Amino acid sequence: MESAPATLDVSRVTAVRARRRVLDGVSVSVAPGEILAVIGPNGAGKTSLLEAAIGALPLTSGEVRVGGHRLGGIRERARRLFYLAGEAEPPAEVPVSTLLAHALAAPGADQRLAAALTERLGLRSFRDVPAGALSRGERRRILLFAALVSARPFLLLDEPTGVFDPMQLLDVIALFRACAARGTGLMVIVHQMSDAEALASRILLLDEGRALACDTLDGLRGLAGLPGGSLQQVFLALLRARQPAENEARAPS
Amino acid sequence: MLRRELALVLRARVTWFQAALAALLVGHGFVLAVDLYAAGSRSAAAGTLMAREFDPLLGIVRPTLGGLYLALSLFGPLVGARAIAIEKDRRTIHTLLLQSGSLPRVVARKWIAALAGAGLPIAGAAALPLLWLSVGGHLKASETAVAFMGYVSYAGFVTAVGLAAGAFANSFAQAATAALLAIAATFAIDAAEGFSALAWMGGAAAWSPTGYLHSFEEGTFSVSSVGWFTGATGAALVLAGIGCRFDLHGKRRVAAIAAGLVVLIGACSLGRRLPGAWDVTESRRHSLPPAAAREIAKLPGRLQIDAELDREDSRRRQLELDTLAKLRLARPDLRVRWLPDERRTPSALDTSEGYGQLTIRLGDRSVRTSSTSRRELTTLIFELAGRPLPDWTQSEYPGYPLVVEGGRRTAVLAVSYFVIPALFLLIGVALTRPRRRTP
Repeated sequence: MESAPATLDVSRVTAVRARRRVLDGVSVSVAPGEILAVIGPNGAGKTSLLEAAIGALPLTSGEVRVGGHRLGGIRERARRLFYLAGEAEPPAEVPVSTLLAHALAAPGADQRLAAALTERLGLRSFRDVPAGALSRGERRRILLFAALVSARPFLLLDEPTGVFDPMQLLDVIALFRACAARGTGLMVIVHQMSDAEALASRILLLDEGRALACDTLDGLRGLAGLPGGSLQQVFLALLRARQPAENEARAPS
Repeated sequence: MLRRELALVLRARVTWFQAALAALLVGHGFVLAVDLYAAGSRSAAAGTLMAREFDPLLGIVRPTLGGLYLALSLFGPLVGARAIAIEKDRRTIHTLLLQSGSLPRVVARKWIAALAGAGLPIAGAAALPLLWLSVGGHLKASETAVAFMGYVSYAGFVTAVGLAAGAFANSFAQAATAALLAIAATFAIDAAEGFSALAWMGGAAAWSPTGYLHSFEEGTFSVSSVGWFTGATGAALVLAGIGCRFDLHGKRRVAAIAAGLVVLIGACSLGRRLPGAWDVTESRRHSLPPAAAREIAKLPGRLQIDAELDREDSRRRQLELDTLAKLRLARPDLRVRWLPDERRTPSALDTSEGYGQLTIRLGDRSVRTSSTSRRELTTLIFELAGRPLPDWTQSEYPGYPLVVEGGRRTAVLAVSYFVIPALFLLIGVALTRPRRRTP
């Protein structure tokens, strides 16, 4: 009997950082082949959610499971997750070729993708150049190469698209989609609403550590009462809808 | 993949800059040693007896290694700390650990790469004995190699301490400060050596690497010294691994650190208790005469010396460096007690009548003496066993006085102060120069 594809489940996760509750009972799941875009205002808990998923942020409650199995130590997480931090920079001294070889030498890396990814990410022309000599977008492409070649079931990427020009962005989105089509689940933090719209199968809207909504774009439109609205409009409408409700709740009886 | 880690260390300008600075420090130590050796050798040229005192291991290699000790202590922890802390500064540590999936592998590769970077000054220092040979000096390969082996062990230790600091710190600045403080703590332990007022720190001496380096510098391959460095380095790497465990939080993290410290204490204690030491010096000059060494090892009963000498007494230092070191080679089970340390009374206030006396115990018999001469003490040990002193003859170390002057001294100055540091800078520039993109 073929087992059901494993899903990444983040269940009722609460976490505190510097005495501030950065995640408050957040639940979300990512299925294989799905791209979940995580959006929200600054300080909403987007990065904390990814850090909680890899175990870097201690949970006060809740749990992270893959295929129903609770994730343990680094070795176990490494078999299932790839994580890229938002401000990550490849080591400036190391030549690009060495970084690419390092990514390919990682356990489980898909060697068949190497040539195509090198070409699509435009890395061939600076193989001998140290990463520090490249532009920010070029450096980010090296890290994306490592993520996409890793062949881990789930990629957790913190703002991977923020540094690209519109042409590069189209390429990167196409690569993410191809990756999802191979069965990889992606949880991607996105700041630009247009990027999220172009990229995501589903969208998770976080605010002040809480999940306000998680649905397809059409589902979110329905929730916000804005059929045909852009994600930007839906985002603002859902945030505004929450604030009066909260103010009402806080008002003295 | 080791290549990435090696590139991270060896393609960084700071690595080669520290190597060049270290080469200057080491070179300066070498030049001073050569000049002092030459000054002494001029007066020794007249007599054979004085010539015997000219030992290039102690006169040239050891002062040169003194500069290396300083360089490794200052720069080694920084190179080690940078190897991990830079991943934190660049927010790649989580990616790296999840990419590899094996924490021990990541730490081991980081350590090997850091050791390659921190070890560059050793490569520079290793050129200086060759320079000494080229200007007509004498060195015995085995004793020089053992002395350098000690410094390779020390480099491994300081880089592991740096890695551990980098693993626990949030940035390179924090890591560098913590690593240098850890090494400075060992300096504080060493500083207690000559002061009675700091006798209370006597037990801490076992935790300073300097004492273990000493046996290497004397041309003695001591298993306990190798064991201590192996244990301390391994335990520091275990701590580095714990520091990298980003999935450990709160009490679990504290428990893991406590377990790491227990491993550190256990590994060092176990390492320094390993028996076995070999004198590889020319003419075995750091050992008792062969017959005495052979026979003393066979004497039944436990050997102990209780010494009424405090830390500020020069006789104590001489006793430790000469007689006790030689006795320990023959009898690794020798136990030495420094009674003033145990009383913790400053020497100026020490009014005990027996001050300066040594009590030698073998089994249940004992004898007192105020001599610190190795022949006298060895004779007394054999008397306690009811045996005569064995043959005391030992092959004479001829001594190798050498006056380096004129063109040869100029060559020494040029290589020490210019050629080696410049070589490091040139290699650094070649490895770190910007490369053009291929079209």
